[in-house]
Amino acid sequence: MATDTQTEDQSLRERRLRYRNSLYEFLSRRRVMAAFTILPALLLFVFITLGPIVWAVAAGFYEIPVFVPTWEFVWFDNYVELLTEETFWMTVWRSVVFAGGSTAFQLVVGTGIALLVNRQFRFSNVVQAVVILPYMIPTAVLGFMALWIGNAQWGVLNGVLIELGLLDNPFSWFGNHSTAMLSVILTSSWKFTIFVTIMVLARLQSIPQDHYEAARVAGASSYQVFRDITLPNLKNVIFIVILLRGVWMFNKFDIVYVLTGGGPGDATRTAPIYAYELGFGLTRLGKAAAMSTLLFVFLVAVALVYFRVLEPAEGVRTE
Amino acid sequence: MSNPPETPDDAASAVATDGALSYRQIRLLKRAGLGLAIALVLAVVLFPILWMFHTSLRPQSQIFIESVPLVPEVISLVHYRTLLFETEFPQFYANSIVVSLGVVSLTVVLSTLGGYGLARLDFRFKRKFARLVLFGYMFPAILLSIPMFIIWTEINLTNNLFGLVLAETALSLPFSLWLMWQFFQTVPRSLEESARTAGATRFQAFKDVAIPLAKPGMIAVALFSYAVSWNEYTIPKVLMSDRSKWPLTVGLFTLSEGQRVFWGQIMAASIMIVLPAFVFVIVLRKYLLEGFRTGL
Repeated sequence: MATDTQTEDQSLRERRLRYRNSLYEFLSRRRVMAAFTILPALLLFVFITLGPIVWAVAAGFYEIPVFVPTWEFVWFDNYVELLTEETFWMTVWRSVVFAGGSTAFQLVVGTGIALLVNRQFRFSNVVQAVVILPYMIPTAVLGFMALWIGNAQWGVLNGVLIELGLLDNPFSWFGNHSTAMLSVILTSSWKFTIFVTIMVLARLQSIPQDHYEAARVAGASSYQVFRDITLPNLKNVIFIVILLRGVWMFNKFDIVYVLTGGGPGDATRTAPIYAYELGFGLTRLGKAAAMSTLLFVFLVAVALVYFRVLEPAEGVRTE
Repeated sequence: MSNPPETPDDAASAVATDGALSYRQIRLLKRAGLGLAIALVLAVVLFPILWMFHTSLRPQSQIFIESVPLVPEVISLVHYRTLLFETEFPQFYANSIVVSLGVVSLTVVLSTLGGYGLARLDFRFKRKFARLVLFGYMFPAILLSIPMFIIWTEINLTNNLFGLVLAETALSLPFSLWLMWQFFQTVPRSLEESARTAGATRFQAFKDVAIPLAKPGMIAVALFSYAVSWNEYTIPKVLMSDRSKWPLTVGLFTLSEGQRVFWGQIMAASIMIVLPAFVFVIVLRKYLLEGFRTGL
């Protein structure tokens, strides 16, 4: 009796093992492996990224009533309407100003911070960790934080400036036509500068230490070391950062929307804000889709430069 | 090489260059300059966060006053208590956790599998695919969210947490896929090959050798996709009109109604929103930098 169950157990186990082995054999076939590794990511990518892009281009040719299921094909009407109105060009221009200003600021300050905290000193690990924190602050939180600190009546910024004698009366930084854009640029830079810092820091830390030692032994000054070793190593990452930050700031919606909603007046009404207004304020979804398509063209242009100049290698350099 | 310019510290400090500063003084000055610069950076980074915390601890009577003491005189947890027991905040928190868990798992699983496949299997159009993936990484949320709103409405995925997870994965998947792809190329093929000569099938080599080695990359991807989904504002703002489905970032705006802004509660909520991210960054900073290093 006992031996019976034992042999039964054993045969069961053998069978299970055989099944598992044949399953592994099956999964190891090249086609099967491709199917379960690459295919899921590819399918999702097509559904959630390529799909919406194609949809945006197509929807730009329609008038889309919000609560009616029928779309009306209107040829290029949405595009013509956009390209011939002044509002469109003004919002694009503001996006250029916003993107240019904040990218330049973020690049210079971000690289500076990376070079600074990459040096060896006591607690340098702690400082590096602290410096990364702003990048983890959600835009919505950043918005309220800046509005509170810059608040015209109760903000600590005005308090300090008055205390220091730099300002006579409290000033509404986000509510004033002449300072709103600058305030939005500086606020968003508080967070996104850190993106530059992280990228540059990551690159700096991968420069082999013996390059520096060799330069020192050869008698190079600190400036020469920076010029001949640090800078060439950073060239690529700086270029990537300019392109990525340029694209992202040009199309930045959330922080501008949260801080000023495009105001006061239309001082900070950038292109993405206008696209959002078109789609969800004026319920012109077709025109909003056309607007997205036009912004998308800018993205493609930058991406082409990126691929042409950098030729990002899909083979990794193992140095 | 013949004559390395090395002077012992003591000797250097004893040498006073005529009229100018001594080496020791220059060194001290340099160190003071470095310290000052670091202090400045830390102040700019930390002050807003600390001020947020400071405000969150002040009772309502201490919020709107003329000059606020730098060290709070009265500390009160009243805003935290109100948030947790009298607002929809716990619901928003739960929504955010569900969405982040979804985005992180989906991204980590798909990018690990996909990254492995791309690194180890050769097929046509690989180069084109690489560019497509990187191109996806450049995509800002607002450009995706408008057409997504139209599609998601058609297939009934608006006001649906699963629909939100899918939408936000669009922001985290491309870079994560790229990162894991690069990462698997740094894992030597020979390790898997030796497992296979020891009798393992290709799948077993993948499961038992490659996956465990990819752990640092997976942590970097998890951290990145967590940050993306936890912080995202535009996509939920566009896709979710149903208040009970809002994540924290959108829900935060329920604390300001027209002219009434509950600053104390907003700051308390903000602290509670950023806290988990801060803990992750401080604990996992190494992987974050590692990830970006491999990725680009």
